[in-house]
Amino acid sequence: MTVTEVPADQAVAVPPLAVRARDVLACEWTKFWSVRSTYWTLLIAVVTPIGLSAIVAAALAHQPAGQPPADPLLPGFASLEYAVLAIGVLGVLAFSTEYSTGLIRTTFAAVPRRRAVLAAKATVTGAVALVTGELVAFISFFVVQAVLGHLGVSLSRPGVPGAVLADGIILFVVAMFGLALGSIIRHTAGGIAALVALIFLPAVLGLLPAPWGGRAGRFALLDAAHQVTALHPATNLFTPALSLLVLLAWPAVALLVAALMITRRDA
Amino acid sequence: MIEVDRLVKRFGAVTAVDGLSFTVRPGHVTGFLGPNGAGKTTTMRVILGLDAPTSGAALVKGHRYDSLVRPLHQVGALLDATALHGGRTARAHVLSIAQSNGIGRRRVTEVLRLTGMEAVADRRVKGFSLGMKQRLGIAVALLGDPPVLMFDEPVNGLDTEGIAWIRQFFKALAAGGRTVLVSSHLMSEMAQTADHLVVIGRGRLLTDVPTAQLIESSTRRDVLVRSPRAGELAGLITARGGTVTREDDGGLAVTGLDAPAIGDLAAEHGIAVHALVPRSASLEEAYLDLTGDSVEYRAAHPQEVPSR
Repeated sequence: MTVTEVPADQAVAVPPLAVRARDVLACEWTKFWSVRSTYWTLLIAVVTPIGLSAIVAAALAHQPAGQPPADPLLPGFASLEYAVLAIGVLGVLAFSTEYSTGLIRTTFAAVPRRRAVLAAKATVTGAVALVTGELVAFISFFVVQAVLGHLGVSLSRPGVPGAVLADGIILFVVAMFGLALGSIIRHTAGGIAALVALIFLPAVLGLLPAPWGGRAGRFALLDAAHQVTALHPATNLFTPALSLLVLLAWPAVALLVAALMITRRDA
Repeated sequence: MIEVDRLVKRFGAVTAVDGLSFTVRPGHVTGFLGPNGAGKTTTMRVILGLDAPTSGAALVKGHRYDSLVRPLHQVGALLDATALHGGRTARAHVLSIAQSNGIGRRRVTEVLRLTGMEAVADRRVKGFSLGMKQRLGIAVALLGDPPVLMFDEPVNGLDTEGIAWIRQFFKALAAGGRTVLVSSHLMSEMAQTADHLVVIGRGRLLTDVPTAQLIESSTRRDVLVRSPRAGELAGLITARGGTVTREDDGGLAVTGLDAPAIGDLAAEHGIAVHALVPRSASLEEAYLDLTGDSVEYRAAHPQEVPSR
């Protein structure tokens, strides 16, 4: 065994902030890609919505004559809801597995600035979720329009590119929301339960009789998401611009709460 | 150097650490000893900035841990060897922690080799034995080649060979001028590893001494004497200046006279002696004497257990 002598002066040069940020990002990047759950959840998040969107589009293409034409962007959005759960779980797991295994103590001992850990995890998970989301959104779009044929729309039509881009952002939003919940709740099952409850239950409020459905539903994450991604937005909800703010407020508020709590509790 | 200064940590109504002060100096293996629940792990967590102290402070080289930049170059610690994500390989685990402090792949390979984990480095840690996880945890602690090292119950789960290895390892680390703090609830373990002991019970400091001094100061020496005419012999020993304490089983514990003197005395008076045993209290007993009042969950004395 070789153990080197300790140098008399152990002064470690303080590296610039950018270097330290890169270090923590590299750490979280390695962690992210070195567990199987990442690959499984991403696979489900990609395959499920693309496959489902083709099926929903086929159903729309063959609806009985005489009915008003459906929103040609709806199949893409509707099937994306099934990716929401997978990507949300990916977000929750980023923190909850560290708390449940106790690994978080090694992490915080290596990086005592806990908000840097939160920021790095959010950056890695968020970047992957955004890229995955856009990939799924655009592939789904082209699959759906191919199935719809003459009922479909072209990407060059005004409003369409924005709506498809917004589809992809939903996965980013949900991943960030899940990550914040994992950090706050520190428990995998609890985090996933909270994720499901907070994303899907408020959407039920939108089904209340008018005018309450719109009044309550406009704040629900999924209703706001639908509003942002629809070709013909609903009139009883917020405008698409305001709905985008509502959509982004969900993860923003959750991450803020997570950032406030992460330094206040014993690890 | 680690300084713990009037540290108090409460969890609700439970006081885990109660005004604890001690200093761990470089160049020694310091044993941090106490019964289960004495507050050892909590103290180490506070030193690492994981738990916030209720009052008081813990400083590493004069700084609060959370003010350290790239702390792995200053302090290496192993608190819980099982705190791993089972799906990750050993190398990915060590690499991720290394990257957080700007430590490169070469050092990762080096610490894996140093701890004998090289051959299993690319296996998922799920299948590792506790001993392998301990080695992996030590590999992480060594990453930044830190001058201060802390290990919480590191010999738990190690086999005999592993324990021998870890003892040598700690001594080599301390000999290189490092500060090494090792916790244990086993005195016998610490007696062979540590040159200095910090003993705590119920969150309070019981003693803070060099190991040799603790052995010296607390060693009780006496001679156990058994004889069919014990009563008679006891009188003679007392008359000769010895002190006799009767033991439960009829034996005599004698101090003030050594074994040859007692043997000669018995022979002079024609008293048969069945046993004449010089005894010295073990370090283990010294430790039990010290911590006897501070054990959190005490088992009934064997004699107090009702018979069926």
